[in-house]
Formats: sequence, structure tokens, C-alpha cells
Amino acid sequence: MIEKIFTLWPEITLFVFTCVVMILGLSRSLSVRRLCAPLSAAALAIAGVLALTTTPDAKGALPHLPLFVKVLTCAVGLVLLLQLAGTADRGYETRVARGEAFDPLRSTRAEFYAFFLFSLTGLMLCGNASDLIWLFLALELTSLPTYVMVAISADRNSAKEAAVKYFFLGALGAATFLYGFALIYGGTGTTDLQGIHAALSQQMATGGINSIAMAGLVLSVIGIAFKIAAVPMHFYTPDVYQGSSSGVASMLAFVPKTAGFVALILVLATVGWVSTSPATHGQLPEPLHSLLWIMAALTMTVGNVLAVMQNSIKRMLGYSSVAHSGYMLVALLAGPGPEGASLTRNGLSAVLFYLIVYAVANLGCFAVLGCLEKTSSDGKSEEIDHIDDIRGLISTRPLLAWVMAVCSLSLLGLPPLLGFMGKLPIFSTGLAAGEIVLVVILGLNSAIAAYYYIRIAKNAILEQSPVRPAGEEIRDAAVPARQFAGIIAGLGTVVLAIIPISSLAIDGGTFRHSRSGVTNSPAQTLPAPVGSAEPATADAPTGPVADATVPPTIAR
Amino acid sequence: MINASALFGSLLANVEVSSYLPILLLLTIAIGFAVTNLLASQLLGPKRKGNVKQSTYESGMNPVGTARKRFNVRFYLIAMVFLVFDIEIIFLYPWAVTFPSLDHEVSNSGIWLGRIVFFILTTVVAYVYGYRKGVFKFD
Repeated sequence: MIEKIFTLWPEITLFVFTCVVMILGLSRSLSVRRLCAPLSAAALAIAGVLALTTTPDAKGALPHLPLFVKVLTCAVGLVLLLQLAGTADRGYETRVARGEAFDPLRSTRAEFYAFFLFSLTGLMLCGNASDLIWLFLALELTSLPTYVMVAISADRNSAKEAAVKYFFLGALGAATFLYGFALIYGGTGTTDLQGIHAALSQQMATGGINSIAMAGLVLSVIGIAFKIAAVPMHFYTPDVYQGSSSGVASMLAFVPKTAGFVALILVLATVGWVSTSPATHGQLPEPLHSLLWIMAALTMTVGNVLAVMQNSIKRMLGYSSVAHSGYMLVALLAGPGPEGASLTRNGLSAVLFYLIVYAVANLGCFAVLGCLEKTSSDGKSEEIDHIDDIRGLISTRPLLAWVMAVCSLSLLGLPPLLGFMGKLPIFSTGLAAGEIVLVVILGLNSAIAAYYYIRIAKNAILEQSPVRPAGEEIRDAAVPARQFAGIIAGLGTVVLAIIPISSLAIDGGTFRHSRSGVTNSPAQTLPAPVGSAEPATADAPTGPVADATVPPTIAR
Repeated sequence: MINASALFGSLLANVEVSSYLPILLLLTIAIGFAVTNLLASQLLGPKRKGNVKQSTYESGMNPVGTARKRFNVRFYLIAMVFLVFDIEIIFLYPWAVTFPSLDHEVSNSGIWLGRIVFFILTTVVAYVYGYRKGVFKFD
């Protein structure tokens, strides 16, 4: 354990910067307080560079997963930071500028940026997890700050309501998977993921998995379903997305969802997708397989059908977030496929790649909402939300309208865009794993989803701008960084579709096969090269990262 | 049939009675302290009686009446600052117990020390944050 600390430099850097941001954000001087955002950006940049240079801990079934998660977190985190600009404290800072004395108790800037970085630290730690306790703590470090961020993201009651709902349901989810972890420990006698894998493989070889361990696995999957907003635990999604401001909503769609999928991959990798009998090779044990099958089918369908009925774009995107989790569950169910599988056969790579695809497109949609304001019924200015608010956006703000259209069509999965590149592997891995019925449901759901994504795109670029009565005009929010974030995401959905970044996801999803339960030597893993460009940062197409090869896996 | 006295004797034979001496000492001190205090206040204290003085002492709260009262919201802040120190103690104790028994020749004791210093520094950050937020201000 003690040598593991040397693989954690990115997290430690991020944490130290978090502490600095937390103190500086409470300074009396405005210029010091303004350092919060640039310092957070510097922290993410340094952590990203460190993640690329330090050797990740390469234990377990997925030796390259930590590297992938860390780089992805830093890259998307930088764009999210742009989008979160001006979310915290804008109202209070204007009052201070008018001459009110600065009271640290009333300011929320320090917490906002610090919690943002804390949450990303948790996400990075998730990828590194080699132990159930570690995984639980990392998941909670990811989630706990987001509850507070929802509450302080907007100065209205719906934000508080959203935070309370999110918190209590989050606690329920955490309790569920913690109970699951405890039962896994009871059924296998260890909390070490590799040890659990060995114990479960032995149980599978000698007459099936212990019922306590199986109950634990099932409970863990259901509990983690809260983080990814999958069906039995999806109820909070629309309310929370609508209640929080757009920047925080897009963060909720990326950070806990990625953490949840990484956790699911790690927990399911203990059962291995590898069984002793060749007939069921590549499949999860029956109860888990059925559970994930039903969850995937229901999640897709519920998400899409309910999204069709919404008129609020944030609620629509909330339900679309549920639906996208369903798509990713299909690939997760398909598993890693045969050894050395490409993106079209390896379900885990497909999930990891789809997380990038979804993050970029979703970020763009929310960024456009964050760029525009209108006066609400009680006289405050708030972000636009209703589908009619973006009607005819093309005639007043063509750039934002195109970002909205391109990103929503990318979420739909229209061919030239990034969304198609992400959805194709999900279909192909599902088919390769023989889940024909599930893939048919996936196809039908894509057709349902077309209705509301095209509705957004049509409203933005094909409609005429209606004559809005005085007092109901749409204004620009005076935060240029959000427009910048939107443009980056819009470009990302186009540019990243051309650059083959998917190879990075293949690397992260490379699964170390083992039939006997004893982990094979690292030499058997696929020596896939790390992809050329960083994921999701179309703003900095720095070209190939100096042909960075896979850091050598540590043999133990 | 079990010979109870023999069983008891064998149990006693295996126990070093003298190892329980500190506990006995502690018990004596505890009881003695309570008794001394009661006696001293009985003998030395002024005897003025009144309704409030004769009522049950309940940490400053009114002992009779509804328990559903409003608390000042500051108590929650204090409780949270207390948590910081609480967590610190939880980790310091096992560390302090383990650290002397580490084999300093073999293990990297500098890292062990560095870890706990880093951890204490993080609680200092929490403390500074609480101070700047005005948790310790009572006016």
C-alpha cells in the first residue's frame, strides 16, 4: 500500500490546490478572490501533465483504466471550469461592488471551486481503486461536494429543493452499495478487488458464487445505479438538473456518471466476464446478467419516453442523461470481448469512449443554456430553460444556435458527428455479445430520442424568432467563458469525430483476461498505444502527445 | 456436574490479579473524587435554597417542558468544527499506537511521519477556513 502513494501525484496536487483555493476564496481583496478560477485551471493542467508522466498503479484486471480516467477528468474538467465561470457568487459580488461590506459567511465562491476540485479528485481516485473501501470513499468524495454545489449554484428555491432531493436519494444510493460492499466482503473474506476476483473465481469453479457475495454484487450494482442515474435510482435526475444552474447540471452529467461507470466496471471485473465453461465465456453470471439486462432496457426506454414529454430543456437533458446511461449499460453488459478486441468488440472501451462523447455533447447543450438569460416571473434574471426560449436563436445568435443544434444532434448520434462514433461501438459490441433483443430495443430508443433532439435542433436553427413582449426578451449572460465552453464543445463534437481519440478508450478498457482467477502477467495485456490527442479538449489540439507510449505496467 | 468452585479456581489461577491493579486504582480515584466533591460542597458551600437551585440540573436546559425547541444555528457550525478535531483524533490514535512499533530500519518511517503531518495540515486548513467563515465569532 505504501508504494501506491507514488502513483497518486495528480490527486495530491489537485488536493493541495483545493486547500489553497478554499482559503484564498475567502480573502477580503477582490483580486485575490478572483484567483480561484485560474488556480483551479492551473491545478487541473498540472494534474493532467502529472497523470500523463507518472506511472499508474497497474494492478488488477484493468491496468490502463487509472491513466484514462485521470487524463479524461483533467481535460473535461478544464472545459467544465470555463462553463462554471460566474456561477457562484455573481449576485453577492455585485452587491459587494456596490459598497456592501464583504462577509465571508455570505460568500460561496471558495466552496464552489474547492468542491468542484474535490469532486474531480474523487473521480480520479475512483479509477485508481484497488480496494472496496477505497472505491467507496472515492465515490463519496465525488458525490458529497456535488450536493452542496447544487444548493449554491443558483439563488432560488428550486436549487435548494434539488439539493435536498439529491442529497437524500444520494445517501440512499450510498447506503445501498455500501451494504453491497459489506456483503461482498462477507462472501469472499477480503476487500481487495484482486482478492475478491480470486475468491469468486474459485467459487465459480466449485459450484457457483456464494449467495451472500452474489447478493452483495447485486446490491452494489443497484446502489451505483444512483450515480449513473439508471432506472431504479433515476428519479432525482430531472428535478436536480432543472433546479441547478446549467454549469453544475453538466458537471452532474459527467462527474458522478463517469465515477459510477468506472466503479461498475471495477466491481463487475471481480466477477470477471470470464467463466470457466466456454459456453458462457464472456458473460456475467446469470443473476447479474439479467439484472443489467433489465436495467439497461428499462433505463433507455424510461429515459427516452419521458424526455419526449418535456418542454423544459434541462428536464429533457436530464431524462436524456438517464437514457444515455441505458445505452452505456448495453456495452457494459457486452463485456470486454475476446482478448485484444478493438473498440467495436470491446464493450468496456465502448463505455469509456461513450463517456467522452456524451460529456462533450452534453456540455455544449448546457453551455448554450448558461449563455442566455431572461427575466423570471419574480423579476430576477435566470437562465433560459423552456424549449420556446431557444426558438429562432439562429437569427439573433447564430453561433450559439449552431452549437445547440450540433450538440443535440451529436447526442442523437447523427453520422458525421462524434455521437455516431460513440454509438456505433455500443451497437456492435451488443451484437458481438449476442444481445440481439437488447440491441433492437436500443435501436427503437434511438428512434424515440430523435424526436426530442431534433425538436431542440429545429427550434434553434430552423424556426423564426417569435416577437417576444417587452420584459420577456432573451439576453446574453455576461459571462464570455461560457460561450467559449460552448464553442469548444461544439467544435469537439465535429473535430473529435475525425481525430481517432477512440484508441485512448481502447487502452483504458483493455481487460486483463484470466481464467484461473490468478492474474496473468502484464506481458499478456494488449500493448495498445495511447491515443494521439487528449480527449475532449478540442481547444488545444496539441497534436500527438509526443508519441506517448503506455507506461510500463508494474509487475508484482 | 460441573464443580463450580474448581472452575472458578482454575479461572483465577490463570489471571494475574496484579494486572488489574491500575483499574482498581482508577475506580477508587473516581469514586473518591465524586464522594469528596459531594462532601466538600455539603460542608463548605453556602446553603441558599430556591426554586431554580433545587430543580434538576440538565446542562442548562429547562428540565420540564417540550424537547422540540429551536437551537441557535451556530451550534451546528460548532458541531462541524468539532467533527474536524474528532476525525483528527480518530486517525491520530491508531497512528500513534502503530508508529513506535514500526521497524525503522526496514520501513520507510519518514513517509509514515510525512503522512500524518500532511493530514494534520489538512485539518489546519479546515480550521483556518472555519475561522475565516466566522465560526468562532460569538456576538
